[in-house]
Amino acid sequence: MMADSTQTPATVEGDSEWITLLKDAARSGGQGRRPARPPSRLRWRLRVARAIRSSPILRNGMLYVAAVDGNLHAIDAVSAKTKWKFQAPGKIHGTPSFSGNAILLGCDDGKVYAIESETGAKVWEAASSGEVWTSPVVRQGVAFFGSADACVYAVNVSTGEQRWRRQLGGRIYSTPFSAGENIYLGCGDGKVYCLNAASGAIVWSTPTENGIDCSPVLAAELVLIGSEDFYLYALDAASGALRWKYGTGLGIVSSPAVGDGAVFFGSKDGYLYAVEIRNGRLRWRVQAGEAVTAPPVFAGGTVCIQAGGTGALDSASGKLLWRAGLGGAVQSTPVLTETGIYLAGMDGELYALE
Amino acid sequence: MDRRTFIKGTCLGTAGLLVERLDASAQRDLPMPQAPPILVHGLTPHKSSPLGMPGLFPGRVVEIHDSRSIVRNHVSQDVVHPMLEQGMKELTGERSARDAWAKFVQPADVVGIKINPSGAPACSSSPELVREIVMALQAVGVPLRNIVVWDRYSYEMDIASCRTTLPPGVRVMGIENGVRDLSGYDLNVYCQANFFGEWETRSYMASVVTQGVDKIINVPTTKDHSAAGVTGCLKNLGYGSFNNVARSHRPPYSFTDPLIGMMCTAEPLRTKAVLHIMDGMRQVWHGGPLTQVQDFIDQTGTIYVGTDPVALDTVELQAIEEKRREKGAPSLWEHDPASITSNNEEFFHNPNKNLFYRRPGHIAAAGKLGLGIADPGRIEHRRMVLG
Repeated sequence: MMADSTQTPATVEGDSEWITLLKDAARSGGQGRRPARPPSRLRWRLRVARAIRSSPILRNGMLYVAAVDGNLHAIDAVSAKTKWKFQAPGKIHGTPSFSGNAILLGCDDGKVYAIESETGAKVWEAASSGEVWTSPVVRQGVAFFGSADACVYAVNVSTGEQRWRRQLGGRIYSTPFSAGENIYLGCGDGKVYCLNAASGAIVWSTPTENGIDCSPVLAAELVLIGSEDFYLYALDAASGALRWKYGTGLGIVSSPAVGDGAVFFGSKDGYLYAVEIRNGRLRWRVQAGEAVTAPPVFAGGTVCIQAGGTGALDSASGKLLWRAGLGGAVQSTPVLTETGIYLAGMDGELYALE
Repeated sequence: MDRRTFIKGTCLGTAGLLVERLDASAQRDLPMPQAPPILVHGLTPHKSSPLGMPGLFPGRVVEIHDSRSIVRNHVSQDVVHPMLEQGMKELTGERSARDAWAKFVQPADVVGIKINPSGAPACSSSPELVREIVMALQAVGVPLRNIVVWDRYSYEMDIASCRTTLPPGVRVMGIENGVRDLSGYDLNVYCQANFFGEWETRSYMASVVTQGVDKIINVPTTKDHSAAGVTGCLKNLGYGSFNNVARSHRPPYSFTDPLIGMMCTAEPLRTKAVLHIMDGMRQVWHGGPLTQVQDFIDQTGTIYVGTDPVALDTVELQAIEEKRREKGAPSLWEHDPASITSNNEEFFHNPNKNLFYRRPGHIAAAGKLGLGIADPGRIEHRRMVLG
């Protein structure tokens, strides 16, 4: 089952564009793509920084990679040459997002920066009071982001001017998912929230038993999200009512991916899970690493995951299709294109595979 | 084998301490190689305090157990709350938890909480316990912005989700972001020794310790350690405050004894570490510090409180030794060449195997350095069972 594109303002602008966390506003990953083939060779490898936690984004043949040291790098995807760098005042842990020609970037100094994608010049900044690890989500001229100050912010994407701010009950590291009139996110207070996108009003909230790091996805009118309480929750998107939940051995921070009627997610217990969206039953689970914290990416019958190294599994059976011993990540995800795969590793390396 | 121990000052005066040989505890079986001279260059001048290790209650260990505190691997903050309160009152003799905490922390203090996420996600300092400590500090009047939760490795804190459930305003800090990241260390405070011919012979103290906080509350976990024997208060504090410490052990040998204790004597670490709250919700009895194998992680539901890290670690060592005996695993003191393996997988899954000859003698060695009491006969071990 695919994310409901009628509800989500997906902004996919081309097959080789990967403009935010898990590709686009629908977090579609590699959906619609033919099965990802095993990479045959390393095209290039670039030492970008000492550490990268976030995922690269891709547009017009340029990769944009945010390193923990606060540098945003614009790198030619073919030549691996750096076009420009933007140095933020603080560390960067979240995946940037495109909005028009600007790249939006959360920073540990509490601000979101808009950076002109051609030059690396700062366009505007929007302030919060805590570090911003979430990816800004852009929709209809508004960027939404959560902050560790426990607030969700909506700002004008052209100016950074604040539209609204909504205080919740805990720190926010969960990137909102935008659909219909609402945005959905998890919170450190253990609740899943649905906020009205126009006003920030709380439409509903549903508690879990522990804090939430995980970023949700919507599919089949369900909000799918993991909690530190070890469960993946499927909540009715309209009411927040629990439809089902699936328990794992440890906390879930790996944001889910959906495809082929299943939701795929990792758990800190080291397993990658595939659970049927319609009833919450296990399709398969596979040991994927010591702790799986990065989100998987679904791509035409395969599920790619960075855990320890990087691997791809058959989405129907969980059978391992290939594995490469590079690109270990805490949160970074592979960028899949028709011609290759781009990986950012926690060790600060950027890889282009083909 | 009993070894003579002697310590002498160096030309660096009060800031420097050179240990030529220090191995206080009887090691069994094989003789271990002697440790090289270790130079400790602390911050100078530094004003010591009676709160510094071994602190206000040398030799006293309060152990609080409640079986309801961890159920199916979920820690209950509702149960942890009275455990910590009762433990603090028992430690200090105060009638209220607030007064107990006020013995260690003042409202104007910047307080660091040194957690241990190195075994995450299977075993790390419980967020539920850390939140209780934060709330207790707030009750004393410490503002959230003056509370810093920290460890050396950002990515381990990330895996442990240390940030998510803390109250907004608390600062959360990983000292190192990636390999060879020295930006979070104070180059004026270091320990220097050449153990195995390594190119970098210094380990620097984290700047958050030297400049960032006034007091430190140490929150280690209870687990065995493949090189040190156990990783408790001393190791969490020493090896969690200095960089470049893995160089002290190279299979199968380890100089964690005496380096761990030496590091804990370095000022201002020694003076600032005023309280130790050992998280025994889970007890790793084999495979530490990084194991993820649940077979060797007991859900013990215990908290240990004290100001004396040596006494606390002695009690921890006894508890893990007892568990290993119960499970038929060899003693942490055993130095049997047949137990050594270079295969990590074998080590993680076989409690009869180890990567190093463990050196739990670092605890007694730290006692000889004045950091606390290692003699079990002199330790005042108070046990409380709440449920």
